Amino acid sequence: MKNDLRKRLGREWLFCDGGTGTILQAKGLKGGELPETWNLTRPEDIIELHAGYLVAGSDIINTNTFGANSLKFNNLNEIITAAVGNVREAMRRTGREDAYVALDIGPTGKMLPPVGDLPFERAVEIFGEVVRLGVAAGVDLVLIETMNDPYEAKAAVVAAKENCDLPVLATIAFNQKEKLTTGGDVDSAVALLEGLHVDALGVNCGMGPRQMAPIVRRMAEISSLPIIVNPNAGLPRSENGRTVFDVGPEEFAEEIFKMASECPVQVFGGCCGTTPEHIVREVAAVRKLPFRPATEKARTVVSSFSHAVEIGQKPIIIGERINPTGKKKFKEALRKHDVEYILQQGIDQEGAGAHVLDVNVGLPEIDEPAMMEEVVTRLQSVLTLPLQIDTSNREALERGMRHYNGKPMVNSVNGKQEVIEQVFPLVAKYGGVLVALMLDEQGIPDNADGRLAIAKRIYEAADRYGVPRKDIVIDCLAMTISSEARSALVTLETLRRVRDELHGNTILGVSNISFGLPMREIVNAHFLTMALQNGLSCAIINPNNAAMMASYRAFCALAALDPNCAEYIEAYANATPGTSAPTVGNAPKTTGENASGSTLSLGEAVARGVTGRAAEATRELLQSGRVGMDIINEELVPALDRVGQGFEKGTVFLPQLLMSAEAAQAAFEVIKETLQGNARQAKGRIILATVKGDIHDIGKNIVKVMLENYGYEVLDLGKDVSPERIVQTAIDEKIRLIGLSALMTTTVVSMAETIKLLREKGVPAKVVVGGAVLTQEYADAIGADYYARDAMETVRYANRIFLSKP
Amino acid sequence: MTPDIPRKEVFRYLGYCGGEPSAEVSMMVEECVAQLQEVAEPRTTHQYFPLECMDEGILHFAGIVVKSRDLAKNLQNCHEVCMMAATIGAEVDRLIRQAEVRRMSEAVIYQAAGAALVEEVCDQLNAEIVSAAQARGLVCRPRFSPGYGDFSLEHQRDFIRILNTPKLLGVCLLDSLLMTPSKSVTAVVGLCHGEVSESLVNHPCERCGCPDCQFRA
Repeated sequence: MKNDLRKRLGREWLFCDGGTGTILQAKGLKGGELPETWNLTRPEDIIELHAGYLVAGSDIINTNTFGANSLKFNNLNEIITAAVGNVREAMRRTGREDAYVALDIGPTGKMLPPVGDLPFERAVEIFGEVVRLGVAAGVDLVLIETMNDPYEAKAAVVAAKENCDLPVLATIAFNQKEKLTTGGDVDSAVALLEGLHVDALGVNCGMGPRQMAPIVRRMAEISSLPIIVNPNAGLPRSENGRTVFDVGPEEFAEEIFKMASECPVQVFGGCCGTTPEHIVREVAAVRKLPFRPATEKARTVVSSFSHAVEIGQKPIIIGERINPTGKKKFKEALRKHDVEYILQQGIDQEGAGAHVLDVNVGLPEIDEPAMMEEVVTRLQSVLTLPLQIDTSNREALERGMRHYNGKPMVNSVNGKQEVIEQVFPLVAKYGGVLVALMLDEQGIPDNADGRLAIAKRIYEAADRYGVPRKDIVIDCLAMTISSEARSALVTLETLRRVRDELHGNTILGVSNISFGLPMREIVNAHFLTMALQNGLSCAIINPNNAAMMASYRAFCALAALDPNCAEYIEAYANATPGTSAPTVGNAPKTTGENASGSTLSLGEAVARGVTGRAAEATRELLQSGRVGMDIINEELVPALDRVGQGFEKGTVFLPQLLMSAEAAQAAFEVIKETLQGNARQAKGRIILATVKGDIHDIGKNIVKVMLENYGYEVLDLGKDVSPERIVQTAIDEKIRLIGLSALMTTTVVSMAETIKLLREKGVPAKVVVGGAVLTQEYADAIGADYYARDAMETVRYANRIFLSKP
Repeated sequence: MTPDIPRKEVFRYLGYCGGEPSAEVSMMVEECVAQLQEVAEPRTTHQYFPLECMDEGILHFAGIVVKSRDLAKNLQNCHEVCMMAATIGAEVDRLIRQAEVRRMSEAVIYQAAGAALVEEVCDQLNAEIVSAAQARGLVCRPRFSPGYGDFSLEHQRDFIRILNTPKLLGVCLLDSLLMTPSKSVTAVVGLCHGEVSESLVNHPCERCGCPDCQFRA
């Protein structure tokens, strides 16, 4: 009877096998031929390959299934079954029945969003099928390898966990800059895989042991899990069209020996270019060294696809602005499905210095789970900050966590049994740092003892669910001092005692402390300083608030948490004393602003596209007594028209057209504030969509900016939009004009289908089309009403439709 | 090292055919170019293959069969080809996506600057291929990409597979046969004995048959 791999992993030396592709090439595999087919066509060669590694001392043998998935094969069952059979046969022949058969899973070759177009759930499906077939064929573990996108690794791990209880090992392929092609680093990859509770993690391929050393060193520093190292036989080199590797067995073993003496690694093997001879030497070299197990690292880490943020060292700022509570505009955006508005909130907060963003999109009348998934995914496509998924809706929480690229923060659990039972299994499955609110069925204790008692109960619950205690952050709860005089003191005492007695991390929604008071910012900013001084690890605040960020930066500088006061200086070096503190040091920059722009008239500012000055000039005009509508009609519209005409004549070019539109937009925003209820009436409502199959929507977005600028309300359905959705929206919203965009010849077909369906359903709207490959003839052929060559032509056409009566 | 981005090309992609950008636009282009240069991660790969046979517009190389009269014309008299791929990385796409939310004018400039940069990266690699060929007494034909003329975009699948770009460059194909990251290029360069006229080598637009392209220089 074979020993349970989980009992051996991380307790004794274990060895993987070495290269497959390079050896098969030597046996005659042609470039472009799929090695997995050899399981069926040349089983003896495959058995011989495995046998070589078994004799060499490998304990974990990968099935020859690296690229075996339904995207590449339609006889997947046959291939996987044969592949597992070949390893078993090799084990029998070599008398190595003690070895383990690893179901080898490599990348699909497609990329997941936001980089590619393979949906996360589709990837889970593809990997799930492989896992089911492998398990049915009798593998002992799942080994996910050569992943250069940890998000794809996540899909594979989730698929493995949902289809078997076998050990799951995952190794990542880095480039020589210690980075992933999708932008991640070692810390972010480790955080994600640890969160998913794989049994061991590591690195393979891409380079030889020497180049891999810094990556392995960092992994050993931060990972609490056993580490696997499977390097290539050096860096790949091209020779006469063949990829060759230069590091021989002896040198390979020397490098591995050096690495093993330096950092605790528990599993060694090889990848491209390594042979049984490399493994023989490697095993002999490593076995000379004492085995060192992985040790628990008490690090609390959240991550995005790109980087990790550690909690508990320097306090961190969690931006609170993505939340509809008390925000009319935000609620409106949720109802209108205006995801761009939400993204903008995220981008602003990143610029203002937030480290993590809270994401709450709960509104009774919307589909919160779908919205959570969409907002999380789209935020991650435009910014790099880790997110805190904030919802009391279990399904929304799961959708957000499942599609999150990284290890998220999760807001929240509390002492109520029902909530504990809902939330902990999700954290155990997907990983995350969990915010625990100090309240239970009896409400919020009014003293620190009561709150600590709940904290202890939640830690115990974490133990039961297998969630490490370090992944719990205690929300000590800030309650307003306007109704309970001692409430801040209770919160501060709780903060101190969680730190000192429970050695835990803490979090607070800081601004609740001043509810009901005037000038809340004064109380909030001072309370933030006090909370930080009492050990607060994470402050949920509005990072756009200058006073709050001033407290934070000053505290960090004073508490020796800001080396050389660098961040403080960066933020305030150019600030003027006496004025209100500047919002931020690294606020989203406005590019192209001209210092000499301060004297431009509104018309000139719009014409030249100087956004800041356009807003300022508008304010000056309003102060001088001009009415908002007059400014629009007499200044803005004529200025815009001049730029538009210049564009049509070929004297003004696209960037300037857009900059002018943006400057005008800034002016409109200023006027809007003064108009209140008397808002500029939209000239008409227009649907814009990039058609199904097309994910390139920059052209559509340009048109959107221009239409909005000319006073139209745009219902932006986004990209890859189905004909059905366009038709339905047009009917529901009684739309008179639809703009469709397509970039490629192949997707013009979807455009034609959309127009056909619109006509079939009798939608009375006109259809204007545009996009890189479109021509007048094309537009006529697919039955469009109008072909617009560029954004201005679309504007002119819209004017024709809406300014003439129906 | 990320090469410098030729401003002339950026403005060409932005549609400035002969027109002068305003001071504001120039300043914004400079800032965007600097930002892009910071996040771009140029990577390239290339491999040589014999050009096995060629008749009636049918070409055999690297185990693939290409039917393309335009490519056949480009590769006339060649006995060898170099397949190449280049990218400037996924972060550039993120920069563009973020700008699309924040400020559309920056997004179009990033688009143009990204296109100019990946072409520059290709030019540098191409120059290396040319000098390596010269050392062997060979000359190169202008590079030719799937999608040019009648060289079907379907062959992107072959380039991606043969050059192993998903692993080496992080470049994959979308269902639409476009590449991701979006600022990526594949091409083939023919090698032959003899001489190639300068005009063929120098002008990028000469490589493409598209007559009514708005970017045609």
